[in-house]
Amino acid sequence: MAQYDLIIIGAGPAGMTAAIYGARADMNVLMLDKLAPGGQIINTNEIQNYTGVGTVNGAELAYQMFEHTQQFDTITFDYATVKEVVDNGEEKLVRCEEDDKEFTASSVILATGTRPRCLEIPGEDKFRGNGISWCAICDGAQYRDKDVVVIGGGNSAVEESIFLAGIVKSLTIVTMLDLTADPIACDKLRAMDKVTIYPYQDILEFVGDTRLEGVHFRSTKTGEEKTVNCDGVFEYIGLTPTTECFQDLGVLNQFGYVEVNDRMASKVPGIFGAGDCVTKNLRQVITACADGAIAAQEASHYVKNLK
Amino acid sequence: MLKEVNSEEFKELAGKGLVLADFFSTTCGPCKMLAFVLKDVEKEFGDDLTILKVDFDQNKELTAEYGVSGYPTLILLKDGTEMKRLQGLQQKPVIVNMVKKHI
Repeated sequence: MAQYDLIIIGAGPAGMTAAIYGARADMNVLMLDKLAPGGQIINTNEIQNYTGVGTVNGAELAYQMFEHTQQFDTITFDYATVKEVVDNGEEKLVRCEEDDKEFTASSVILATGTRPRCLEIPGEDKFRGNGISWCAICDGAQYRDKDVVVIGGGNSAVEESIFLAGIVKSLTIVTMLDLTADPIACDKLRAMDKVTIYPYQDILEFVGDTRLEGVHFRSTKTGEEKTVNCDGVFEYIGLTPTTECFQDLGVLNQFGYVEVNDRMASKVPGIFGAGDCVTKNLRQVITACADGAIAAQEASHYVKNLK
Repeated sequence: MLKEVNSEEFKELAGKGLVLADFFSTTCGPCKMLAFVLKDVEKEFGDDLTILKVDFDQNKELTAEYGVSGYPTLILLKDGTEMKRLQGLQQKPVIVNMVKKHI
């Protein structure tokens, strides 16, 4: 079984930055991801707030980050879905689902990010992937000149709504509160003529027999109920941490996020966290990269102290 | 073999042996990362698998013919017959296992 100084679970911006910093600190690094490198940013059409690069496509930035990691001979990338991390003191065991793959390392950085949250209301399972989507840039094209509903009012909802409004016949935004995204983006969306916004609504049900036909919701202010007919729905109601496989490590808070200190260290020696899956206020590419750098630096200090 | 093809080339190649068709869009991030994964899948199978990449936006009739509505969409064909379809970015082991079942 291969032995590493550092295993990084998750190859998003946090994980890839940690890999680079880990390699530069003379560590032998294994970076694992169940999908391709990139994490959530591959679903982002335009990133406009990563310092120094202006506007960049998310997948292109992910590619550039990955190519940067491959400049180091001491970084290995492998496709694996981690099912468990076992803390055996100075050695950490990482168990994967594929072919019972197992790896060991002196330190581990948890950088598995988040995934979109679901509403869990009637009709959602029935139309999942067939009328209801979580990725406008993947599935938006099939709704050209059709009626679409976006659920949510945060940054993702508003940014993706602006993208969709350029494609669809009509766009209805239904949100539990008001729009809470950056004011500039909200103003841009409100000014678009195809767009109707219903704030302060409880989403009750997705309606339809064999295909999605509409969304039923109720005002939290007046109690009035309404159904908007549509061909497709995009949900952007927040994120949930992808940390189920770390449950037994005892490093998660009640919401499933990895609890870390200002050095990205969890309460288990040698286990660190970075990126969207840790407790923090601002989940952005740039803060994920910063987390990764700090976590790898601390991991290198930890590993050197063991030797 | 991994090759980007137009509709005519696709129809010529899709009926021969085991073919993995990747319907993608140049504007789609998950498609770009799936391309990354498929390069590794190609290394694994060599001549046993032909991977044909079809630009969704440039080949509308072909995508309609195959009932592809979103991207990325992977369709595994054996001598032209559809064996399996996967939508969205997929894990490399999932693609590899799917192909192995039909070799």
